[in-house]
Amino acid sequence: MKLFPVFQNGEVDPALKALEERQDEILRKLYDLKATVDGLAKTVTTPDADLDATTLTHSPAQSEPALQGTADLDALLGKDLGALRDIVINANPARPPLSLLVLHALLCQRYQVLSSVHVHSSVSVVPSPLLSCLGPRHTDGYARHRFQLGFTLIWKDVPRLQMKFNTQNMCPIEGEGNIARFLYRLLGAEPRDPVCATQMDSWVDTCIFQLVEGGGKERAAVLRALNTTLGRSPWLLGQDFSLADLVCSCCILRARLTPSAPVNVQRWLTSCQNLSYFHCIQPLLQ
Amino acid sequence: ELFMWALLTAEHVKGSVSLSVEEGKDTMLHVSDQVQFSDVNSITRYLARVAPALGLYGANMMEQTEVDHWLEFSAHRLCGQADVSSALQDLDKALALRTFLVGHSVTLADLCIWAALKGNGESQAKPSAHPHLCRWYSFLSSQVPFSSVGCKWSGKIQ
Repeated sequence: MKLFPVFQNGEVDPALKALEERQDEILRKLYDLKATVDGLAKTVTTPDADLDATTLTHSPAQSEPALQGTADLDALLGKDLGALRDIVINANPARPPLSLLVLHALLCQRYQVLSSVHVHSSVSVVPSPLLSCLGPRHTDGYARHRFQLGFTLIWKDVPRLQMKFNTQNMCPIEGEGNIARFLYRLLGAEPRDPVCATQMDSWVDTCIFQLVEGGGKERAAVLRALNTTLGRSPWLLGQDFSLADLVCSCCILRARLTPSAPVNVQRWLTSCQNLSYFHCIQPLLQ
Repeated sequence: ELFMWALLTAEHVKGSVSLSVEEGKDTMLHVSDQVQFSDVNSITRYLARVAPALGLYGANMMEQTEVDHWLEFSAHRLCGQADVSSALQDLDKALALRTFLVGHSVTLADLCIWAALKGNGESQAKPSAHPHLCRWYSFLSSQVPFSSVGCKWSGKIQ
């Protein structure tokens, strides 16, 4: 707020005008400084801290661990035969598959994705955050040929989460972990090293079967194992973010175990939630 | 039935990978001093990955995903379940137009479902109710190493 006397003829005192300009300049510098500090804070709190901080203020996206690997849909899925490759997921609204929503956000960074949410007649009421969980509705849905991938989420009263894709060749795939693995492979990000890839799969299985479906004792054991691993390295497989981090953090967030989680797990959960592709699940955690 | 499945996988890869099997109280794959896998899913996944030429994990990412599906299916809908009737129905349906569960050769999917049935559902699968499943099961049972592992270890279990 700026208040200064105005002369009778409507002109401003030049001295005051200079003062005002100086104030604007100082505020601008402070603003820049704050942006730099925010960028630095993010590199420090995000475990992936080996980035050059000077590049951060220019392109904040670089502070996120980029997924390794290149993906080409024709190479991964065989030649495109003209029809949109549509991933159809049937999910029960009582158990929203958070990890798949995060993977959807990652796929949108890589490909042109035509996303849509439907409600099957087997469920009556679906909370509004679940209806908007894939982002705003596409208005140019008629131009299906403009998209590389379709992502269709149907809220349905199904006992098990299910994905249908290329149904002529593939059986329907059940289980959040298995669908998550499929979407992650579409990103071309699966580790090539057999040990790494198997450790990743092992964490996904552990979290889904022992943490989500297990009892209190099993949960505590998984949280302890996560805490030990995360005390040694920033992410579950070491220096790089992977599907293991994505699925395990989503399991803990959905089970609302954050307050009781040990310290390394809490720090890692914050790092995950800071990633832009995790922002889409925030409204579902309220 | 779990360790039998791990052994079956080991029998499949033993020509491609140098590997030794020791008897002990627990099932464990010792890769190095830093890396060990103790759950059977991880053991078989690792073995399939170090012998990629055998194609036990499928020929492409879609087959890989189908293999993952059957690994979970066998662990959660066949092993340790008292009522496997709906699982057997699903399997029969999946095998109606297939020789192997995934793709055109043996994969981990065939190994894990076969081992799970050997341990649990074998007596519940009836040719009249599950013709495709029974065809597939007897086809695999007649092949090496299914037949040799079946003989070698069924004696030990009793």
